[in-house]
Amino acid sequence: MADLVESAEQAELRATLRRLFGGPSACLARPEPESGGCYDAKFWGVLAEEIGLCGLAIPERYGGSGYSRADRAAALHEMGRCLLPSPFLASAVLAVETLLATGDEDVLTDVLPGLSAGTTLATVAYRETPGGDRRPVHAARDGAGWLLTGSRSFVLDGCQADFVLVPAETESGISLFAVDAVSAPGLSRCPMRTLDPSRPQARLDFSATPGRLAGDPGAGAIAARTGVAHAAIALAAEQVGGAERCLEAAVEYAGMRRQFGKPIGSFQAIKHKCADLLILVESARSAARYAASVSSSPAAGEDLFATAAFAGAYCSTAYLTVAAENIQIHGGIGFTWEHHAHLYFRRAKASEVMFGTPLEHRAFLARHLGLSASPPPEP
Amino acid sequence: MIIVRIDNVQSFVLEFEGWLEGLGVRRRRPDQVGAGDFSVAVFDDQTPEEERAAVDRGRDWERTKYDAGWGAVDWPERFGGRGLPPAFSAALRAAEQDWDLPRRNELFAVTQHMVAPTVREWGTDEQIEHFVRGLLRTDIMACQLFSEPEAGSDLAAVRTRAVRDGRDWVLSGQKVWSSMATCAQYGEAICRSDPDAPKHAGLTAFMVPLDRRGVTIRPIRQMTGGACFNEIFLDEVRVPDTLRIGPEGGGWQVAQTTLSAERSDSGGLGTGTVDKLLALARHRGVSSPALVDEIVQLWIHDRVLVLNNQRTVAETQAGQTAGAQGSLGKLAATTNMRRTSDVITLLLADELIADTGEWGTFAWTEQVLGAPGYRIAGGSDEIQRTIIAERVLRMPRG
Repeated sequence: MADLVESAEQAELRATLRRLFGGPSACLARPEPESGGCYDAKFWGVLAEEIGLCGLAIPERYGGSGYSRADRAAALHEMGRCLLPSPFLASAVLAVETLLATGDEDVLTDVLPGLSAGTTLATVAYRETPGGDRRPVHAARDGAGWLLTGSRSFVLDGCQADFVLVPAETESGISLFAVDAVSAPGLSRCPMRTLDPSRPQARLDFSATPGRLAGDPGAGAIAARTGVAHAAIALAAEQVGGAERCLEAAVEYAGMRRQFGKPIGSFQAIKHKCADLLILVESARSAARYAASVSSSPAAGEDLFATAAFAGAYCSTAYLTVAAENIQIHGGIGFTWEHHAHLYFRRAKASEVMFGTPLEHRAFLARHLGLSASPPPEP
Repeated sequence: MIIVRIDNVQSFVLEFEGWLEGLGVRRRRPDQVGAGDFSVAVFDDQTPEEERAAVDRGRDWERTKYDAGWGAVDWPERFGGRGLPPAFSAALRAAEQDWDLPRRNELFAVTQHMVAPTVREWGTDEQIEHFVRGLLRTDIMACQLFSEPEAGSDLAAVRTRAVRDGRDWVLSGQKVWSSMATCAQYGEAICRSDPDAPKHAGLTAFMVPLDRRGVTIRPIRQMTGGACFNEIFLDEVRVPDTLRIGPEGGGWQVAQTTLSAERSDSGGLGTGTVDKLLALARHRGVSSPALVDEIVQLWIHDRVLVLNNQRTVAETQAGQTAGAQGSLGKLAATTNMRRTSDVITLLLADELIADTGEWGTFAWTEQVLGAPGYRIAGGSDEIQRTIIAERVLRMPRG
């Protein structure tokens, strides 16, 4: 049973976060795209410690508060509205879900309490460095441990994370390793310039870097794939929050800005555009809520991947459209550096690609629907 | 994937299906390519005799259902219902699709989901007593008499006159685009009762018996080839004041009740058609990756529409005010109908424009030719957008 209705607790959580983030029209992203984007550690501490945000969807036995992924999605909606720069998506979603998918009790007991408290941060390095620098990561046994060598790029919060989960090639297939990102020898981390300043990425190069096996040997690909699917669903909730805020901003401005002696919002060209955007926002809300509900069910199984592709494809396109039209409705002022509109556009663009492009999601769905015979792609 | 169910509704549907089985109704086989009836028609293109026969079959079935307590389940008991949330009746209607039952054409939706709630909201006790159960049981079929040649999108511009004459009103004018009026006993008419009052304030609503002297109904042949719309000429038609619905001068408000019921009832338009398209695509195999992607995009839009409708029902059931998506239903549905037309054109290509005799191919022309009509009927796409902008987004009026 998918729950498409927001619960009273979720509404309350959103209201609390909205107050904390500074009200309905807050935008917390730093308007300095060249700054490399770092988080406000003090504010993060408040969110992690006082609100217990990171542990929302982590089981209580690992130090979390044991709420559902749909509850976590409600929080992501608010973060998306204000473009909160935070390590939440990489650490509390992508890394946590990848770890949970391993089912490795020892590792979970060791690391989840820290992630749950927000005192340690993690991420997953699963994207290959492209082009001539491509060096897929291999792991070789070294006594009781493992040494990793290779390169990964597009690692979300790669320079901020305390440890990095790395799916790496081994004799028994792709296995998942946890690498201490702060003190491990042979690891170099290099920030990448990013289109979205509020969401840093890094290139990581491993050279005989020690890693700890997480989960069964050979089970790393499915764990990463599961983590990415949950991240795509979480991102969909965030995308709806951003799209909702963009439409509000556009409607507000259209009611205020006067041309030809009237508010521009009284012209049908603008009204009809906004009506179409509302359809996108509400449809994306339905898709994201559905996906969050499916992902909250332990019985989701294979449906998790189709649901992630469905929500990812729809919400990515919807957000980008609303963010672009928000700039259009604002006219020249919307194209300025000072205005928030470009920050939402940057976030929407980055989110469109982050856990699979809409085209990749749809290619997966084509196979899921029996329209195409080739095997599903790996994330 | 992706069928959303609401638990207690599900057991209610099972009970309903058990009742259907007990009556000997047979289950339809889903998505069967190559056999059985195939229709993706947006409008029913039937001869007047076929149309009447179809309506009669439908009425028989609605009465059986109503008498057994499966008809108006979301209406209070005094109207023969069970006082259940709308989710239950929506679920029954969806379940009926899977069974070999008479197709419910548009006149049933107008009678039961638009006119009945309007009479209930605006009618006097006597009118409610006289009409509501009859409309719900389809003993009385009712059409709309709203549009006129000079009052389309600008509905408040209606000119059909209603002149008071003692205890009666005398109605004169021309109405148009009334679906299946030939099969209806009554028409809900919006007329101008006070030509001197401001445009929206001079209107009054009536339930007009269509067998009265002075009523002429003439079918209009539409671009699909069928003729389910009609023009209705009212030539000094005498209607007692007891058939006035709502206050004198309150016709605009009465019409709004009917139209908002239509907007929320229209969200399900065209759903199920995409499943047929998908079945055809699977059956034939599609080699072009670009076309596969078009089909997947259509499927995503269709799922989203279904989820929007389910969310509306679920939110209402949970006692929340349904979100804005409730008012978006018709516009979202017609947009998807057009998308469906576009994709089936790419899938069938030659077979859409010339009939090879192959099952389930040329019949798609009914969808392709019908879809443009729904972008106009019941408030055009453009009017829907204006309504959404002004009433939901509260944008300034022009």
